Amino acid sequence: MIELDGVAKKFDGNILALQDISFSVPTGSVCALLGHNGAGKTTTINILSTLMRPSYGTAVVAGHDVVQDPGGVRASISMTGQVAALDWQLTGRENLVMFARLRGLRRKDAHARADALIEQFDLADAADRGVTTYSGGMRRRVDIAAALVVTPRVLFLDEPTTGLDPRSRRTVWDLVSSLAAQGVTVLLTTQYLEEADVLSDSIVVIDHGRVIANGTADDLKRRVGFSYCAVSPVDPADLSKILAAVADLTDAQADEEANTVSVLATNGVATLSEVFRRVDQLKVELADISLRKPTLDEVFLHLTGSSAG
Amino acid sequence: MTAVAVLTERIVRDTLRDDLPFAILAPAGNFIIFNLALRNVIDTGGIGYPQYLLPVIIVQVTLLGALTTVDRAARDHQWELGVRLRTMPIPTLAPLIARMLYCLIRGAVALLATIAVGYAFGFRMFGGLGHLAAFTTLVLALTLALSLGADATGVGISGAAIGRTGGASQILLVPQMLLVMLSTGMAPVDSFPDWLRGFVQHQPVSQVTETLRGLAAGNVAVSSLTASLAWCIGLVVVFGLIAMRMQRRVR
Repeated sequence: MIELDGVAKKFDGNILALQDISFSVPTGSVCALLGHNGAGKTTTINILSTLMRPSYGTAVVAGHDVVQDPGGVRASISMTGQVAALDWQLTGRENLVMFARLRGLRRKDAHARADALIEQFDLADAADRGVTTYSGGMRRRVDIAAALVVTPRVLFLDEPTTGLDPRSRRTVWDLVSSLAAQGVTVLLTTQYLEEADVLSDSIVVIDHGRVIANGTADDLKRRVGFSYCAVSPVDPADLSKILAAVADLTDAQADEEANTVSVLATNGVATLSEVFRRVDQLKVELADISLRKPTLDEVFLHLTGSSAG
Repeated sequence: MTAVAVLTERIVRDTLRDDLPFAILAPAGNFIIFNLALRNVIDTGGIGYPQYLLPVIIVQVTLLGALTTVDRAARDHQWELGVRLRTMPIPTLAPLIARMLYCLIRGAVALLATIAVGYAFGFRMFGGLGHLAAFTTLVLALTLALSLGADATGVGISGAAIGRTGGASQILLVPQMLLVMLSTGMAPVDSFPDWLRGFVQHQPVSQVTETLRGLAAGNVAVSSLTASLAWCIGLVVVFGLIAMRMQRRVR
């Protein structure tokens, strides 16, 4: 369980990194913090993991207040940052044993736990090499394994899949889902909307240090209010012809990659039939015409009012 | 307590390949070179040059050893590892205490190596067990004082450009060279020009060296012992407070 209430963070020179952050994450669920670079995602995580103190407001993690009882918070959490937090002069196995012992495991148990994690994270071949020789994906795997030497009640993952190949990303996703199923509360930050969509039970969108939206992916899509009417011709060459025919309608756009022209459906089904009537007159053969919910990218653009980064 | 033990073990593992062998070779090399170069040049009066030289070699390698602490502390603060340690249920001061324990281990190893080489060249501990214990304690107290200062420096500059180069320790090389050269460690105070003698006589390297020389010989002036202990305890307190402050900084 994570609860933030009116959290603000002022840095030297009165720069407000966070203005007013309030949201909560129920036990055993996955929440994605979504936002541009500099929106305040990492500052939020740093406050929750006791690395920084909030200037105003309260934050409670696993029942412990981050200011009143930082020790209680630290005993309940694990965290991985954007850069692997390892001792670069040790091997993968030595790192895991060290973290296990720092978490209070006896030497023998720490070795057994390290062995199990090496197996689980597919690191057997590299376990006894120095971690500097590891690839980016392997470093991330050791780093996440190090955060799981004991199963935490709350896990913070700061951009856990940035820079990973699709296969490693899939591994991390599966892991997060299985941890949540075991009752671990997960808060992750991401710039990938797809990741937030697939992985999380709830999404908190942060912009300029404020929560601008909060809910499930479907909630957010509904919040934008409108659906999109999408038309795909059989022959991609007809795309420009279709666009010309509907150009006067709201938000008409052609996406060549997806072979689709989309129009904001301001009048719902009425817009759909209007688009259909116009395209029908063109005598163009259609592969598909439909009313669809906006993608998270479109929601994000709509909410933040600037380009996604 | 476990955390301190684990973190100390981590540093020993890290340094087994580079720093610890150096802790043995540096005093041996320093002693042999200075002894060969200077034993017939400098008049030390009644005592042989190895007997005269050994204490300042110990002080010199203690200073050099402290320099490696600057880089280690800076690195601990820059690496994400340092950040993760601050989110773990371990005492805030555990990483600092572990670094200091390592410095004391390193200091003890260096002391043993120096005395072993010294014995081969004619140095002798003439005092009894009590003198030997005092000799060891003074060396370790000096090690702790200098290491705390080096640690605070390392953490302090870890955010600055020089801290990121890994060569942070170099900035302390000049004062440490000057302190050793302008001391009564290498040569008696008479061999310095008049205007320098006041400084040479009373600065800490000279004080500690004189005391160590006395303890090795088995007769030490109480005033000398008091002065050296005062220096070491004073530095431990001042540098210790600064080092702990650096460690406690929460943004």
